[in-house]
Amino acid sequence: MANATEIARALLTAAREGPAVASCTVMGATDGVDISLGAKMLVYADSELGDIGGGALEQAVIDFARASIPKHIVQTTAFTPSGDLVEGRRAIESADAIVEILVEIVEPAATLLVVGGGHVGLAVGQLGAMLGMEVAIIDDRQDYANEDRFPYEAKVICGDFGEELEQFPITANTFIVLVSRGHKVDELALRTVAERGAGYVGMIGSKRRTRTVLQHLAEEGLDPEALDKVFTPIGLDIGAETPEEIAVSVLGEIILVRRGGGAQPMSEYGRLLASPRR
Amino acid sequence: MPHDEVYEAMSESFERGAPIALATVAQTLGSTPRKTGAKMLVKPDGSFVGTIGGGCGEAEVWQEAMDALDDGDARMVTVDLTEPVDGEDKICGGIMRIFVERLEA
Repeated sequence: MANATEIARALLTAAREGPAVASCTVMGATDGVDISLGAKMLVYADSELGDIGGGALEQAVIDFARASIPKHIVQTTAFTPSGDLVEGRRAIESADAIVEILVEIVEPAATLLVVGGGHVGLAVGQLGAMLGMEVAIIDDRQDYANEDRFPYEAKVICGDFGEELEQFPITANTFIVLVSRGHKVDELALRTVAERGAGYVGMIGSKRRTRTVLQHLAEEGLDPEALDKVFTPIGLDIGAETPEEIAVSVLGEIILVRRGGGAQPMSEYGRLLASPRR
Repeated sequence: MPHDEVYEAMSESFERGAPIALATVAQTLGSTPRKTGAKMLVKPDGSFVGTIGGGCGEAEVWQEAMDALDDGDARMVTVDLTEPVDGEDKICGGIMRIFVERLEA
C-alpha cells in the first residue's frame, strides 16, 4: 500500500504539473462496514496509487473516479459496500449500509489562451486571471502584445499567430478564446488549434462571419467534428455590450463547459420547483 | 481550485516526519462559504494552511483538528451556519460536513 508521503507527493505533482488525478478518500461508512475511514486512493487515467480495501467497492470507485476526471468535479458520492452507486437523499437514508467517498479532481490550473490583445482580449485575460487561470495572450502587434498593457499575471507572446500557436502546448485543460482584430486572423488561428483537443475553443464574430470561417475550414478538410465543437459566436447570451461584459459572457461560457450547469438564472430553478407539476 | 499550498505543506511535514491534521469539506447544504473539497491543514503547533471558510465555523474545525492530532481518530464534524451565533446574522446560512483526519508519513 502506498504511504501518506507518496500520496502527498503525487497530489502535489498533479496540482503543479499534471496529469490530472482523481483523489478518492473514504469519508464515511455505516457502522459495521469493514473499511478504514480516511483511506486514500489516487486514480489516474491508466493506473492507481494506494487502495481503499479492494473488492467490488474499490473497482466501482475506480471506474467512477476515472470517468470523473474529464469533468473536473469535486463531490462526495455514496456507494453500497458491494459497489453500487446510491443516488439521492432518500436512497441514501434508506440504504442498509453505505460508504461515502469524496472524489476530487486534482490538476494544474487551467490555461486560458487568448488570441488577440485588443480591448476584448485584455478584459478576457483579466477575468481569467481573476478566476485563477494561467493566462497567455498572443498578438502580432507590439502595441497589443507587451507586458505593460496587461496589469495582471499573463504570459504575453508577440509573434506570428500561426507559428506561435503551433508551438503552444494545448491539452484538454487549455481554453482558447479567439478575439483577434479580424476574422482572417481568427480563421488562421482556428485552423491551427481546432483539432488539438482543447477543453474549449470559442471564436468571436457575427453569425454570418463565423459561419463563413467554419465553411472555409470544412472545405479545406478540417475534421467536421472538431469544427462542430467550436463555440461561435462566442459567449453566453447576457446582452453583453462592453469588452468587460463580453469577457463575463465568455468566461461564463467557459465555466459552464468546465463545471457543467444549466446556464439559467438560479431563480428560474426556484420557479420550476415552485410551480405545480403537471 | 488547486490546493498546491496544502499539498506542499503536507509533503513538507511528512518529509520532516511530522503529522498533520487535514480538514476537508465533504458536503455542503445551502449557502456555505466554501464548497466540497475545500481544505485546511493544521500543524501540531496550531498554525494552518488553506481555509474552509474563514470565520464561519473555522475555529470549531481547527479545534477538532487539534483534537484529531492528539487522539488520531478521523471524524466528521457538522458545522451549522444557519443559527446566528453572536446575535449577528451570518452571510452564510448553510450546513457543512467536514471530514477531519490525522495523517502522517
